Amino acid sequence: MATFRKALKSKQRNHHERAQLGSRNYLGLLEKKKDYKLRANDYHKKQNLLSALRKKAMEKNPDEFYFKMISSKLEDGEHRANRASWDVEVTEEQRKMMRTQDIKYVEMKRVADARKIERMKAELHLLDAKGKEENKHTFFVDSKREVQEFDLAERLNTVPELVGRVYNRPTLETLKTKSIQGATDKRNLQKLARQRGHQYTILTQRIERERKLYVISQKIQCRREIQDKTKRVKMSNETKEAAAVYKFESKRKR
Amino acid sequence: MSPGFSPRGERGGRGGFRGGSGDRGGRGSFGGRGSFGDRGGRGSFGDRGGRGSFGDRGRGGFRGGREGGGFRGRGGGRGAPRGRGGFGAGRKVVVEPHRHEGVFICRGKEDALVTKNMAVGESVYGEKRISVEEGETKIEYRAWNPFRSKLAAAILGGVDQIHIKPGAKVMYLGAASGTTVSHVSDIVGPEGLVYAVEFSHRSGRDLLNVAKKRTNIIPIIEDARHPHKYRMLVGMVDVIFADVAQPDQTRIVALNAHNFLKNGGHFVISIKANCIDSTAAPEAVFASEVKKMGAENMKPQEQLTLEPYERDHAVVVGIYRPPPKQKK
Repeated sequence: MATFRKALKSKQRNHHERAQLGSRNYLGLLEKKKDYKLRANDYHKKQNLLSALRKKAMEKNPDEFYFKMISSKLEDGEHRANRASWDVEVTEEQRKMMRTQDIKYVEMKRVADARKIERMKAELHLLDAKGKEENKHTFFVDSKREVQEFDLAERLNTVPELVGRVYNRPTLETLKTKSIQGATDKRNLQKLARQRGHQYTILTQRIERERKLYVISQKIQCRREIQDKTKRVKMSNETKEAAAVYKFESKRKR
Repeated sequence: MSPGFSPRGERGGRGGFRGGSGDRGGRGSFGGRGSFGDRGGRGSFGDRGGRGSFGDRGRGGFRGGREGGGFRGRGGGRGAPRGRGGFGAGRKVVVEPHRHEGVFICRGKEDALVTKNMAVGESVYGEKRISVEEGETKIEYRAWNPFRSKLAAAILGGVDQIHIKPGAKVMYLGAASGTTVSHVSDIVGPEGLVYAVEFSHRSGRDLLNVAKKRTNIIPIIEDARHPHKYRMLVGMVDVIFADVAQPDQTRIVALNAHNFLKNGGHFVISIKANCIDSTAAPEAVFASEVKKMGAENMKPQEQLTLEPYERDHAVVVGIYRPPPKQKK
């Protein structure tokens, strides 16, 4: 008999799972019971959680102690730490660098920059660079009358037009007797000035980068140092521009 | 002797990393130690030294390629003369005479204070050199870094007088490795003299090497507090320059002035406020030093802070035992 049943089955149409109707195709695959169960369970779990939270919020005692009850608050239903944006300790740029790079690499890059700066400074002497720090020049004279009569151009023995040109104020004799050597035509001079300006731009960028790398390497170092359990006192907090400062208990090492 | 020199100097810091000559020497000795043992293989360490020097030569070559401009690279002087130094330099820079005789300003792609190089073809501390052709003659200048030299910083800051000029006899207290001294020797020229006093033997060794190339430098490795120890070497001088960075700096200068400075001679003192009194305000420190000078028969004429180049530093220029004023 079984043989016949099997023979009959070969004539049967294959079993197909119900498919989504063509007209309802936009709804995606037809949902089966097992799918519905998953969805429904998830929905109810979330609903229960929400109602539990709602209940907890309604029953909350605002005077009860909880952590950060002072340093945080609700703002439009959102939980916020009481902190200004400028108070951020680590900038996004620093965070990225600190996560991906190792202190040795940062240090290596910083040292390379520092060297380059040193080398550039050896030939770029900020003669008339804009925004350089001003120095203070004091002349000592004997009497008050001399103070009143003081004339800088006369004292320096130069022409008044050159008084502001601090890096070189040739004396009258020098102006009369000596001459300038080297390139003199206007186009050449302009080109040189442009190149010089470019060099200064590069120098400023390098200095800025070196400074940033320095801060990053200090921060990485600081994080590493505070990992062990040596007794220490925090002297100053971390800021965007500087790592935190700790004072460690001195310990005799043998 | 200035202790302030070492952090400022790049060479000191560099030795460890860069494989300066000192470092390579260290490796060489490593090789020597290897040969102590029975492992012959270790001897190959010595090779590394050789390789290092090869790399160095390669680097020099690279620099050489780059120095199309006026300045010659750091390695240029050490290596064999290759190509024409400072190709077309005359057209790429402008050299203007400075208010102080013997000093020049060089402006091209670079923006530098320079002195005329007395020992042509030699760099003293790895500074850049530039040669300018004027017709037949070729003049070589050396860059003078104001970030490392107080005197250069004072010159660029617009000091009225440095009193160091061609033919002058200068006493330089706190000569350190002789970097600034070499420029002073450039300024005073073959007619002048520089007595360079330095206490530390270590930097004194560098100073001696500088003096070997420049006949107008007389190196003295002695404590500047005891001028009687070198009184036999030194004649009367026109100017004393001091960069000793010691709390009793003014006294040291005064001692030397009483011994060697001629009446009406001048002194140029660089003061680092931190070294005198690290707690007081810099201005107060400078004022107190100026006051001390007055008591030692040294009359200050001008004072200049070295701002963009150094922090809390000042240079005081003055006259020693000024001639009495003529009453009209």
